[in-house]
Amino acid sequence: MNAIEVKNLKKSFGDLQAVQGASFKAEAGEVLSLLGPNGAGKSTTILMISGLLVPTEGDASIMGHSVTKEPEAAKASLGVVPQDIALYPDLSARENLVFWGKMYGLRGAALKSRVDEVLDIIGLADRQKDHVGKFSGGMKRRVNIGAALLHKPAVIIMDEPTVGIDPQSRRHILDNVIELNQKGMTVLYTTHYMEEAAELSNHIAIMDKGRVIAYGTHAELIKMVGEQTRIDVTLNTEAEKVLSVWRATEGVSKIDSTDGKVTALVDDSNRVLPRLFDAASKVNVRITSVDIQEPNLETVFLHLTGRALRD
Amino acid sequence: MKIIDIAFKDLTRSTRNMFLIGMTLAAPLLITGLMYFAFGSMTSGDVSMTAIKVGVVNADVMPADSPLEVPLGGNIRSMFFDDSVKSWITANDYADEAAVRAAVDAQEIGVAVIIPKTFTEEYLAGKMDTAITILQDPTLTIGPTVVRDMVTSLLDGVAGSGITYKIVNERMEANGQALGPTGISVLFERYSKWYTDFQRAMFHTPEKAALVVTSPAAGGESSDSTQNMMGLVMVGQLIFFSFFTGAYAMMSILEESEEGTLARMFTTPTNRTTILAGKFLAVFLTVILQGVVLMIAGRFIFNINWGEPDSVALGLFGQMFAAVGLGVLLVSFIKTSKQAGPVFGGGLTMLGMISGLFTTNIQLPDAFNAMGNFTPQGWVLKAWRLSLAGQPAIEMLVPFIVLVVMGIVMFAFGAMMFRKRFA
Repeated sequence: MNAIEVKNLKKSFGDLQAVQGASFKAEAGEVLSLLGPNGAGKSTTILMISGLLVPTEGDASIMGHSVTKEPEAAKASLGVVPQDIALYPDLSARENLVFWGKMYGLRGAALKSRVDEVLDIIGLADRQKDHVGKFSGGMKRRVNIGAALLHKPAVIIMDEPTVGIDPQSRRHILDNVIELNQKGMTVLYTTHYMEEAAELSNHIAIMDKGRVIAYGTHAELIKMVGEQTRIDVTLNTEAEKVLSVWRATEGVSKIDSTDGKVTALVDDSNRVLPRLFDAASKVNVRITSVDIQEPNLETVFLHLTGRALRD
Repeated sequence: MKIIDIAFKDLTRSTRNMFLIGMTLAAPLLITGLMYFAFGSMTSGDVSMTAIKVGVVNADVMPADSPLEVPLGGNIRSMFFDDSVKSWITANDYADEAAVRAAVDAQEIGVAVIIPKTFTEEYLAGKMDTAITILQDPTLTIGPTVVRDMVTSLLDGVAGSGITYKIVNERMEANGQALGPTGISVLFERYSKWYTDFQRAMFHTPEKAALVVTSPAAGGESSDSTQNMMGLVMVGQLIFFSFFTGAYAMMSILEESEEGTLARMFTTPTNRTTILAGKFLAVFLTVILQGVVLMIAGRFIFNINWGEPDSVALGLFGQMFAAVGLGVLLVSFIKTSKQAGPVFGGGLTMLGMISGLFTTNIQLPDAFNAMGNFTPQGWVLKAWRLSLAGQPAIEMLVPFIVLVVMGIVMFAFGAMMFRKRFA
């Protein structure tokens, strides 16, 4: 059985079509990452799966329960880690966890022992009595995750949980995700950091402009761009002077410029780079730096959309 | 069970919110306390007035062939030694004018009353300008004024009785009769009775008929008036701040919406009706808790008698229904917590003024009082006035029912708006 199944999910806000028929699935026990730039529709998709937004069309199911037809059953199997900290700053870490545990139906000794376990998981057992408002950003994020783990959900959704935190807390959160997944939890993880998606995921769904434009394992997605290499070039002048010449150069499959930086997908960088230098010289443009990257998810996104992932 | 969990969580947060604590408990008690210290001492039974020290020189002697049994100066002297004034006048006899002057100069006494040697003689001779000398410590104002008023009041009576004596005596002599000592006593007695009745009729109350100052310590009636005044002041504050609390506590739903915790609650297997019910329950409990604490504090700090227990219960529950209903309604129109300041501050203050919450001790025109019938605060005030007056619960049924209906209507409308907003 698929732990998460999303079928042709659509959401419109007036004339704006935020999600335009997203479909993907995650098998039980895997980590599925939703990767895409800001505004790709990831969060709107997550809100619909979480039951916070009613889809304009389509449906999603959690452990076989439709989020539109059986919302209570779907939510009972689901833990949601919102993008922004959603905790009570004037309650202690423990009081927060106890309250959220009760919202998931936990009571008495079961609640107490589970809160203790979660405090250990998030590494805040020694700070459990401190008010969350006094915590650092990273510590708050850990409690934010802990609140979604209390009822041992089969599926956990994490919406960009590492945004704006220090490297140490980020590493802690990523380790938490790996650990939870190893315990059998299905994780739906949204991010715009390709490194996180590459490290954590069994499958990755790449979203852009409200659509899932690619779905597969990390290797399958890389294979989409074949052996192509990404080259980032900076120039001493406007890119327009050289862009049309380079676009016609043999071995260049895609080329685009943003903020004075030119990004190109090429078949063989060893052969193509000298041609790019020659062409630039002929139009009196000087190359000031070159960065060559082996195929990765950024390359895939560029290949699929013609734009960089972080544009 | 989750309803109680949500309400308990909100109550816990409320107890840690210093602003809310200040506005729900400290502010109403402080304002009432200020009124108490500003005005309560004028009538309070707990504040004692310093006794006036009076020195009396009674030099009056019985003239030869006097029809009286004792000289009249003794009547004036005895006024300052009477049991009824002992709590606020301390009087002592002095031998002569020099001794009493020395006592005033040494500030041993505040006022000296000197009754001349010829007082009775001149009275019987029909002279109406007999002088009684009053000496005073120049640093004092109230004490000497009080003593002067007492003497003046007495002399008015003495002068009147003197005229009466003179006329009666002349008429009797014309008829060949004489007014003996017994006759003079009867005359004085009847005149005194008439004079007292006349003053009572003039001032309506016996307390004001002559210079009668009620001892603060013994004045049961003035203590009651303090209680009544403080009760009304406190009721005004209790009502105003309970409506503020209802609105402010309800605002937590907006704050939770902004903080993301409300959305997070919606992702749990808890339906929205339960979540809203939990939020509403917290507001009910906060308002009732505030009411109970303030009433207990009012009882012990300001000695306010809130009324019969069942009347008090009706007043408190009526207030709770109205305060929560208006709070839910107001907040349902507000989009963000930042809008709450002007809405609560302006709206609730305006309603409070219209309802007369800040003028509970002032007699206002009927037209102004009628405006209170259109506000929930006005009806709560009606209910509390009845309870404070010791009315039984049956007398409070009308305002109670009006408040419950108002509260339910406002609550239902506000709840509908919230359900729509968070659907």
